[in-house]
Amino acid sequence: MKNIMKMHSINDFKQAIESQIQKRKSEENPVLTVSAGTCGRARGSLKVIKALKNAIKKKKLEDKVKVKVTGCHGFCEAEPNIIIHPHNIFYQKIEPKNAKDIIAQTILNNKIIEQLLYFNPITKEKYIQENDIPFYKHQKRIILGDNALIDPKDVNDYLSIGGYSSLIKVLSKMSSEEVINAVKQSGLRGRGGAGFPTGSKWEFTRKANGNTKFIICNADEGDPGAYMDRSLLEGNPHRVLEGMLIGAYAIGAEEGYIYVRGEYPLAVEHISLAISQAKKLGLLGKSILGTSFNFQIHISKGAGAFVCGEETALITSIEGKVGEPRQRPPFPAVKGLWGKPTNINNVETWANIPVIIEKGADWYSKIGINGSKGTKIFSLVGKINNTGLVEVPIGITLREIIYDIGGGIPAGKNFKAVQTGGPSGGCIPAELLDLQVDYEKLAEAGSIMGSGGMIVMDENTCMVDLAKYFLNFLRDESCGKCLSCREGIQRLWEILTDITEGRATREQLDLVEELARIVKDASMCGLGQTASNPVLSTLRYFRDEYEVHIRDKWCPALVCKRLIPTPCQDTCPVGIDVPSYIGLIARGKFNEAVDLIREDNPFPAICGRVCNHPCELNCKMGEFDKPVAIHSLKRFCADYVFQNEGYKRPSIQGKREERVAVIGSGPAGLTAAYNLAQLGYRTNVFEALPVAGGMLSVGIPAYRLPKEIVKAEIDAICALGVEIKTNTPIGKDLSIDDLKQQGYKAIFIATGAHKSLKLGLPREDGLKGIIDCVAFLKDVNLGNQKKPGDKIVIVGDDYIAVDTARVCRRLGSSEVNIIYKRSKEEMPLDDSEIDQALDEGVKIHFLTIPCKILGKEGKVTGLQCIHTQLGEADIRSRRDLITVEGSEFVIDADIIIRAAGQAPDLAFLDHMFEITQSNLLSIDPCTLQTNVPGVFAGGDAVTGPATVIEAIAAGKKAAASIDSYIRGKKFEGYKRPRPRMRIEPIQLTKEEEELKRPEMPLLSVDKRLQSFEEVELGYTEEMAICEAKRCRRCDLEK
Amino acid sequence: MNFNKIDRILEKFSMQKSQSISILQDIQNEFSFLPLEVLRYVAKKLGVPFSLVYHLATFYKTFSLKRRGRHLINVCLGTACHIRGGVRILEKTERELNIKSGSTTVDSKFSLEIVRCIGCCSLAPVIRIDGDTHGRLTQEKIPRMLKKYE
Repeated sequence: MKNIMKMHSINDFKQAIESQIQKRKSEENPVLTVSAGTCGRARGSLKVIKALKNAIKKKKLEDKVKVKVTGCHGFCEAEPNIIIHPHNIFYQKIEPKNAKDIIAQTILNNKIIEQLLYFNPITKEKYIQENDIPFYKHQKRIILGDNALIDPKDVNDYLSIGGYSSLIKVLSKMSSEEVINAVKQSGLRGRGGAGFPTGSKWEFTRKANGNTKFIICNADEGDPGAYMDRSLLEGNPHRVLEGMLIGAYAIGAEEGYIYVRGEYPLAVEHISLAISQAKKLGLLGKSILGTSFNFQIHISKGAGAFVCGEETALITSIEGKVGEPRQRPPFPAVKGLWGKPTNINNVETWANIPVIIEKGADWYSKIGINGSKGTKIFSLVGKINNTGLVEVPIGITLREIIYDIGGGIPAGKNFKAVQTGGPSGGCIPAELLDLQVDYEKLAEAGSIMGSGGMIVMDENTCMVDLAKYFLNFLRDESCGKCLSCREGIQRLWEILTDITEGRATREQLDLVEELARIVKDASMCGLGQTASNPVLSTLRYFRDEYEVHIRDKWCPALVCKRLIPTPCQDTCPVGIDVPSYIGLIARGKFNEAVDLIREDNPFPAICGRVCNHPCELNCKMGEFDKPVAIHSLKRFCADYVFQNEGYKRPSIQGKREERVAVIGSGPAGLTAAYNLAQLGYRTNVFEALPVAGGMLSVGIPAYRLPKEIVKAEIDAICALGVEIKTNTPIGKDLSIDDLKQQGYKAIFIATGAHKSLKLGLPREDGLKGIIDCVAFLKDVNLGNQKKPGDKIVIVGDDYIAVDTARVCRRLGSSEVNIIYKRSKEEMPLDDSEIDQALDEGVKIHFLTIPCKILGKEGKVTGLQCIHTQLGEADIRSRRDLITVEGSEFVIDADIIIRAAGQAPDLAFLDHMFEITQSNLLSIDPCTLQTNVPGVFAGGDAVTGPATVIEAIAAGKKAAASIDSYIRGKKFEGYKRPRPRMRIEPIQLTKEEEELKRPEMPLLSVDKRLQSFEEVELGYTEEMAICEAKRCRRCDLEK
Repeated sequence: MNFNKIDRILEKFSMQKSQSISILQDIQNEFSFLPLEVLRYVAKKLGVPFSLVYHLATFYKTFSLKRRGRHLINVCLGTACHIRGGVRILEKTERELNIKSGSTTVDSKFSLEIVRCIGCCSLAPVIRIDGDTHGRLTQEKIPRMLKKYE
């Protein structure tokens, strides 16, 4: 502050600016600019600054290296970050401990520190310079860009980038009319929400009657999730002042107010400092720079009322009254603050003024699209990889903002919708990703531009809950003046609460729509008129989600807690009480944990190995870190019990005379038998093959699921009195009718899907060397472990294709290829599984489809393939495949294995049974009963190839339905599971809070290729207990 | 009650009615809440009805008529915090302190309040205690975070 001298004339000031510009130009020493806005500070940037200064001092470089503390650089996700000038090196997520290295390596030795560079989380590509990072590269930062260049507390720094030159231009060369015309021609529209043309607004106030006029800067940024105005006030306050000075000159105002949100202490501090510096310079006060222009600015601190963002309410609040809006007209331009003509613009609008004057209206109006010129700053937050403030030309598409700049959705989830405009805005669904963002297009889509909040939501966001959230916000913030707003929002909120808690009726949904329209039509100010937008827009695009809440009492996003208390248990097809058994494991009670699992699933050890664990996909821990390794924990406790006492025999409830026959001893059949036996029925299982277990025994290879594990769990079922008759196919010698005559009261068909589908290529049937994966795996699993050939090509995309490939490698095939038509990300199995296969030398050709089988002398010699690429499509459905012309290539092969889907073989059934068009057994989806009374069916025979856990679920449901049938009762359907017990949580130590999911220990690759020994070795007791402690225990929340 | 401090604040704003909000903000900074007797005193000094001052003090969210604890906990429930699980953080904090939001613990150690967005969305869900921002919170981290405050 000492070096600020009062400027008495325009020329003096011009020279002062010029000398600062020269000073910056001649700066040759490195400058470290550290981002230290509110967000950066919350992430520790002040500590980084201290550490950097210390490191500089230690190396005695105080005169040679400068640390510049700037406002926000916009890239919140990468905070705290620094940019090292003059080479523009960008380091992200700096910690104080990095300071020493930055000085020693980058500053003194010109060496880049790789670990501190920003890298693309998906491609792992690293970027050195700020401008190369995709987040910045696709932006147009004419307003925000300066934040990274200047120290907001030093007015000279602002001068050194040419700051206040526009003010000089205005004061020395332009009349008020010329300024207004320039703003009009630029096409600038208000950035606060409604988008009224700024130049016209200025003109109204200028032309309004009266000598005393006011201008106001609306910095009451109340939209949750929007903070660009704060960032400007914190990072570049003089630019806002310059805009206001130009506006005051054009409008003829001598007094201005900045109404700033009280929750922004740093912004208040910086803008207050800027005002006092401007006063010292002579830019505020009487006879500014020796001209006849007088202007002064006051700060008015908001006291926390969202409605004060509305201009008439804001004006009443500045006057010291309760911030209630009033009727317009008269508009503030005619009758505003203290009854005088008043012009209100928001922070971002004011910040646009200097650049319009500097570069001219023509230049400015070339940015943007027809009707909406210039750039707009959005705060891109929520479920997005690159959280931050982004400045883009108006008219850019949502897709560009969310994917090119924002880097897409984290954790591989799908994009669902984006909410723009805060509580007054609406939700825009994935189908409209290519919408151009401007005032009109957003309004057509049922939303608004608003102040620029852009909240990205993934599939785990419930749209009803979101609408309820905004209503809750607005019912708090409604000033209460209009009945429609005060009571209407309250009632809307109550109904939505009913919907999310499972109490609502279908009629209430109609009431929501009616009420929402009334609130919109009958309220006086912007708050009430737009309050319904979140409800109406979610109803418009996500009506089905509301209906599912009401009809099925189910929240598809697994958010509404009353409906979905524990997402893991609720998404488990058999409803295992996951949180309780994990709680038991955390306490070392492994036997109890297994008993609890076996109440719902007789196969803990099997599912602990081969389940595709949908539970983990929805684990709440997964929103912050990796999800809890639920299936590995299940495996651990099952293995533990096996190695010790063994499984306990569950109790049998009563004894019944009726007999039930189960056809097929796969997971569906055995689960049905297990549950029926527990209910007291005498149950026999008929199996065509020499071993029991279905795909568990003859499909899944032993390195993934050891045979003794399958046997042990089947033995535990037999211990209940279930008898399995192997080598007993149903069909020719023993028909379903025979079974009925033998006295079986009910029959459950669970024969699976064991027939491989054909590839549909010419010569498929004529050549030797083309085999089916199911038959091949069955053969190997039953003991015929002969190498099928040397060069193998497998066509398929599922576990079974990868299993086949890995088996071939173990049998000694040297070249094993998998052809998969889509990308790695789309392969429907765990990354770890794919990586293990790759480690074992399997080659996977992604984005490739087979087109021709090559053969010679009646034998296969190779497969001609062609590459594909993913075409554009809407983001939720899978993208189209386009073949790349001229990309054909041949893979040599002596064996081609078909693994592109399986179908059930239903030839054993007589013609009484109804078969669907897709050649599946037809059943009643509620009772699982076929068209033949007393005969039920489930599993792959009904669904086509599905997962083990889905087959188990079908068996469980079938048992319950058969029980009702035999008792002559109506089957009510499957009941949603609820926690079976309450396990108290464990108090965690500090170290335990930071626990990470342990990596699964694996057998070495060498050993793997020599045998069928199990690859995944399982968690140790210590690992399991630690991992169990990571569970957030959602079940204990009310 | 020592009214000298209040007189000084009133004088700072030249006893202007139009500065009522700023006057109340300064008083709250001094006492951490707005005692009723102070509101009566301010109304008398400014020459306005008590109802007017009371209306201001209850309309604006910043003001509290209840005595606050030694530490003010603001749980952010902005939109970004909401969709990243802010409600669960609030509920855990409520359970830990055994109070509902908008109230103060019996030992006057903590007051718990909700705030709508403090603009640290990249750190969501966020809690601010006095001046410190705690981000990327999970329920597990709450008990230890609270223990840091005396």
